[in-house]
Amino acid sequence: MIADIERLQEKYLNKDFDVKNFLIEAETTVRFAWLSGETHPKFIDTDHPDFQAPPTFVGSLAGSRILPSDFPRFGVGMDAGKSVECFAPVRPGDEIIGKSHLHEIYAKTGRSGRMIFIVTRIEFYDKKENHLANSDSRIVIAERQHGN
Amino acid sequence: METKVKSIEDVVFGEELPVYLPDTSLKKSAEFASLVGWEGARFSNHEKAKEEGLAGAMMPGILNQAYFSAMIHRWAPNSTLLSIDTIFRAPVIADQEYSMQATVTDIDEDQRIIEIDLIMSNQKKETRVLGTARIGL
Repeated sequence: MIADIERLQEKYLNKDFDVKNFLIEAETTVRFAWLSGETHPKFIDTDHPDFQAPPTFVGSLAGSRILPSDFPRFGVGMDAGKSVECFAPVRPGDEIIGKSHLHEIYAKTGRSGRMIFIVTRIEFYDKKENHLANSDSRIVIAERQHGN
Repeated sequence: METKVKSIEDVVFGEELPVYLPDTSLKKSAEFASLVGWEGARFSNHEKAKEEGLAGAMMPGILNQAYFSAMIHRWAPNSTLLSIDTIFRAPVIADQEYSMQATVTDIDEDQRIIEIDLIMSNQKKETRVLGTARIGL
C-alpha cells in the first residue's frame, strides 16, 4: 500500500498547480489583528513606520484550489493543521503572488484504517520575486473502506 | 502588570508565558470567519453546525493560531515571529472556555532565536490545539 503513496509523491510533489495574486488591504489586516488580539502598533496603526500584516495573516489567503485538479479523491478531507513561515513582512497596499504546490504526502494507519495526510504549501512573493512567507495547510483524509 | 520581555537575555529556559484566555465567543468566531471569507454556518451557528455532525460551531483554526501569535507578542513585543506550526487535534467549540499555555523550550543565544511550545486546552484540560513557534528576539 506504500506504493500508491509513492506514486502520488512522484506525480504531484513540488509541482506548482496554482498561481494567484492577492491585494493586501490595510482595512482587512487591521481587522484581522484586532480580532486576534494583536495590540502592537505595527499591526493596527496604519501610520506606524513598520506597518505590516500580522504574521499569521497569510494563513487566511487561499489559492484558487487546494489540490491539483486531477488529484484522486480518497474521501472527505479535514483541516488538521496550519503552519506559517515568515521571511519578510507582508505590507498592506502591496499585491503579492501565491504559488501553490503539494509539499508532503504521507499515510498513517490507525484503528479506523488508513489516514492520508496532504500538505499544500503556498509560497508568497512580492512583485520583485522576494520570498515573503510560506503557508502550509495540512489536510487529513480518512480513506474510504471498500463497501463504504 | 505583566512583565514584558525585551531581549533574549530576559528569557529563561522552561519559562511559561502568561496564560492567555482567548475570546471564543460565537460572535468573534463568526466575525473572523466572515473576514477571511469562510462563510460556512459551522463557524457561526451552533444548531447548523450540529446538523453537520459537530458538537457546535467551531472557532476557525487560523484564529486560534493567530491568538498564539498575539499571546507571544504581548509577552515579547519586540519579537519577530519566524514560524508557527499548529496541529488541530480536535475542534475548538465557540462559547466554551479555553486557555492557552506556552513554554520556552529552547534558547539559541547565538542565532537569537527562541522556541516555544504551544497548547490550547479546554476546561477538562484536554488538548485541542498544539504547536511550536520560533521567534527572533
